Amino acid sequence: MSDVVMQLVVNSITAGALYAIIAIGFTLSYGVGKFFNLAHGVMTAIGAYAVFYLTKGLQIEAWLAVFIAIIFTGAVGWLLERYIYAPLRARKASTMVLLVASLGAFTALQGVLSILFSSQVQTLTQGSAVQQVVAFAGATITEIQIITIITAIATLLGFVVLLRYTLFGKSVRAVSDDEEVSKIVGINTTRVIGVVFFLAAATAGLAGILVGFDTAIEPTMGMALLLKGVIAAIVGGIGNIYGAVLGALLLGFVENFGIWKIAGEWKDAIAFALLIAFLLFRPHGILNKKS
Amino acid sequence: MSTIKTENITKQFEGVHALDGVSLEIPRGRVTGIVGPNGSGKTTLVNVLSGIVRQDAGVLHIGGKEVSILKPQQVNAHGITRTFQEVRLFEQMTVLDNILVVVTERAVAASLFRRRQERCDREARQALETVGLWEKRSSPAAALSYGQRKLLEIARVLAMREAEVYLFDEPFAGLFPAMVDVVVKVMQGLKQEGKSVVLIEHSMDLIRQLCDTVIVMDEGKLLAQGTPETVFAKPEVIAIYVGK
Repeated sequence: MSDVVMQLVVNSITAGALYAIIAIGFTLSYGVGKFFNLAHGVMTAIGAYAVFYLTKGLQIEAWLAVFIAIIFTGAVGWLLERYIYAPLRARKASTMVLLVASLGAFTALQGVLSILFSSQVQTLTQGSAVQQVVAFAGATITEIQIITIITAIATLLGFVVLLRYTLFGKSVRAVSDDEEVSKIVGINTTRVIGVVFFLAAATAGLAGILVGFDTAIEPTMGMALLLKGVIAAIVGGIGNIYGAVLGALLLGFVENFGIWKIAGEWKDAIAFALLIAFLLFRPHGILNKKS
Repeated sequence: MSTIKTENITKQFEGVHALDGVSLEIPRGRVTGIVGPNGSGKTTLVNVLSGIVRQDAGVLHIGGKEVSILKPQQVNAHGITRTFQEVRLFEQMTVLDNILVVVTERAVAASLFRRRQERCDREARQALETVGLWEKRSSPAAALSYGQRKLLEIARVLAMREAEVYLFDEPFAGLFPAMVDVVVKVMQGLKQEGKSVVLIEHSMDLIRQLCDTVIVMDEGKLLAQGTPETVFAKPEVIAIYVGK
């Protein structure tokens, strides 16, 4: 395998890992909420800016800042669910209304970030710090990209354990299957959905932080990441976390190999071509929810 | 003493009266059958009693307390549980998990960090053995036959030990005779435990065999209520239902 191909493989896996972290949270919140929570995208920016503020404003150690930022982003996700989506659901709002509400939340929160931190591109790394690069089978990969891949694997395993082996996970799967019956059998669906939205937002925040350490952050970073996460979730089979990961990896590979011989600007077009192809020919995705 | 009392419950769907001023009592510790032609409002009544459908007018009294609006999330706290005419299971989950999710820890923190309790396992096993599905415990719910799915839904309500009122919407429909016997025993067992059972059923033989009280509905109205013998002797009941 040539070095170029090897580098493309590494890039694909790295991109896929990042998309997977976002897609897992998105697909989980879709599973219990039954709507496209577009505000999931802005959580990436909130996580990244929380770390930016904590490390550069309050001079807190990076690891502690990351931890606080993840919890904070989760809390924002929970607040949106508790005070916007849950009341709308109680009023029997349609999924379209919830989608528009989440778009509103996305726009508002993105605006708040712009007001607080300006629209300028910022970095999370310290001034002259240079990322460590590791050579691997003819390709190179940065330290933060390795962390991204490990984080994606840990996120998937964490959610698999949560959903398969904990009592709470059974409640999540029950709510995902039939919220009304879950209520009737005594499951506190409001609390279950709230916790899922917390976890989904927290993972999106983590993805934003990883992007921030790898490249740069800006208030509008959420939309591009959201779209990739949504494409991955749909391609993989919406509502299925394994599907989300498979979809993310496929998207990473198609995107990166797609621009092998052509300009990088085609990357997003290729991603959406993949989405449209799946919507036309396999609308339930690689793995449908019940497979 | 009644466990559920309704006063003038009315519900319209697009101008059609599904329930029209229904006032009735569900007696404690008895099996109450609801009969009537298709479209007479039986399922709508059960849907109102289980918070699935909100009545346009009228009041419910549950365990002596007035409840003007019953929401699905309050049903369990009021000691009411139900099955559905079209079976509604947690399809993604195994047979055992369908029961465990009902009997396990409700607090999020505890449910995150505690493994299954022995009590939960015991109760789930007991419910599944009662309906003969223990051997199928590892199968996905979606892989069960129609009859087995009905039995699993019945096992799920059986596992809810704190319930006082059990609403069954056509539980015998599509069951083999052996499965019918299982469900009959389940209902008789619940009655022996002092629970209230409400049963929508079309088979008059089963109604006579199981029910202490029968409610007859027609065009959203309560036509008659009483023992099977007295109710089925009424000319208006014979005319709209038994006579057909």
